[in-house]
Amino acid sequence: MDALTAHLDELGHGLVTTVHLTVVTTIGALLLGVVVATLRVCPVPLLRSVGTVYVEVLQNLPLLALLVLFVFALPTIGITFPLFTSAAIVIAAYEGAYLAEAIRAGINTVGVGQAEAARAIGLTFSQSLRYVILPQGLRAVVQPMGNICIALLMNTSLAAAVGVVELTQAANNVNLVEAQPIAVFTGAGLAYMLLALLIGRLAGTLERRWAIVR
Amino acid sequence: MSFLYTTFTRRRALTVAATAVTVALAAAGCGDGGSAPALPGKPGDEKVAQSVFDAAPVASDAEIPAGSTMDMIRKRGYLNVGGSLDAPLLSQQNPVTGEIEGFDADMAKLLAKYIIGKPEVKTVTIGTQTREAMLQAKSVDAVFQTYTITTQRATQVAFAGPYLTSGLAVAVRKDETGIKSVTDLAGKTVIVGANTPAVTALPTAAPGSKQVAFATDPQAVQALLQKRGDAYVQDFTLLASGAQANPGMKVVGEPFTTEAYGIGLNREDAQFKEFVNNWLRKIQADGTWAKVWEGTLGSVVEGGAPTPPAIGSVEGS
Repeated sequence: MDALTAHLDELGHGLVTTVHLTVVTTIGALLLGVVVATLRVCPVPLLRSVGTVYVEVLQNLPLLALLVLFVFALPTIGITFPLFTSAAIVIAAYEGAYLAEAIRAGINTVGVGQAEAARAIGLTFSQSLRYVILPQGLRAVVQPMGNICIALLMNTSLAAAVGVVELTQAANNVNLVEAQPIAVFTGAGLAYMLLALLIGRLAGTLERRWAIVR
Repeated sequence: MSFLYTTFTRRRALTVAATAVTVALAAAGCGDGGSAPALPGKPGDEKVAQSVFDAAPVASDAEIPAGSTMDMIRKRGYLNVGGSLDAPLLSQQNPVTGEIEGFDADMAKLLAKYIIGKPEVKTVTIGTQTREAMLQAKSVDAVFQTYTITTQRATQVAFAGPYLTSGLAVAVRKDETGIKSVTDLAGKTVIVGANTPAVTALPTAAPGSKQVAFATDPQAVQALLQKRGDAYVQDFTLLASGAQANPGMKVVGEPFTTEAYGIGLNREDAQFKEFVNNWLRKIQADGTWAKVWEGTLGSVVEGGAPTPPAIGSVEGS
């Protein structure tokens, strides 16, 4: 236990970075998810293909490969982002693809009659999406989106590989000094677990609060 | 969502998916090109001649009592070693032959030869985070992985040796003139390898420096060349081989720390530690150690083989 308590400062900084990265990335991924899901159901074939290609490419590449590509390949063509920003962009883009699929599933739960009614009273595509389809569709998939956010939290640990000192990297650094891997990584694991439980509870609460009778 | 969707036929879906895969593969291909070759020097240079292994000593039966760890390894027919596959000059898998080459790898083969009579080694790649746990669980017999001897680690595992000493040094980009030694690093952004001694040594050697850690040595070199930091602090021999392979990088100053590397062993097994130490004394005395050094690390470091470190000379060994 000494191995943990002696380094609370370092581990605390790591935890803050993990939370920071998770929050920023979740917001980005949610926005991206809604946009891509919209693309995938929109009436313009070209935009639908763009949405499909985005989802297929991002879902079918390992996140670590994407991170390494983004951090090391982009500078060779003259584009360099700071490491934290790079990690946030890549993880948001990656998880955005998963969120888009969850949101699309939500959209598919909304009855066709709803959409037909929206068109019948003269709403445009974007209006029917904004006022009729998405509000109902998103409520249906709060829990799956919560699960993806938990996966996102776990995936932030990959940022350690590209130089972001988040919780996993902080634990690595502490272990390097203390050589107590079991204590150090159990501690870090518990912190991840608490954060994941928190996200799970939040998703559960939101789901109950936003539930509607259809 | 038939109302928003015109029919999206299966055939089209397949085409799109295939395109996505092609794009993905192309992107992955670029990645390989981007992350710089890790092979140091001229491949083949750092190979230790077969004759060295042929001439290496083998333990007499008297040294291997029945029921001991050595006896178990001899009966098993191979030595279980924890190591790396990506450490140039130390323990790196040759992509052509599949052989693991380098100083650490060859030392492991020599120990296997000493116990079994032939250099049969099974290398388990382990991370620097898991070495203590792997040794405690006896998942590996020994760890050859530039395992720095520290007193904290010595409470968890036993160290035979030291079998090699080295030190941390500073590398910068070729056009850099402001950094001449480690003391110039104060206030600078310094690239380090994750889980290397540099992480803990830098705050004392260069107070006020900011660290950026990368998982592997090739990544760190690439990061230095891409200006993600002002300098790269790493083991001197690794830097020397990196500078040889990458003309855009140079090593400045002398090593500023002394790292003593030990062979990690199970802590409960004092008999095995004594056995390994005896073997080290033997190969140091008969010149095998120097031949292995010249065949590996010696290919990038000027001057002949150094005097091998005295066994048990470091606190923790």
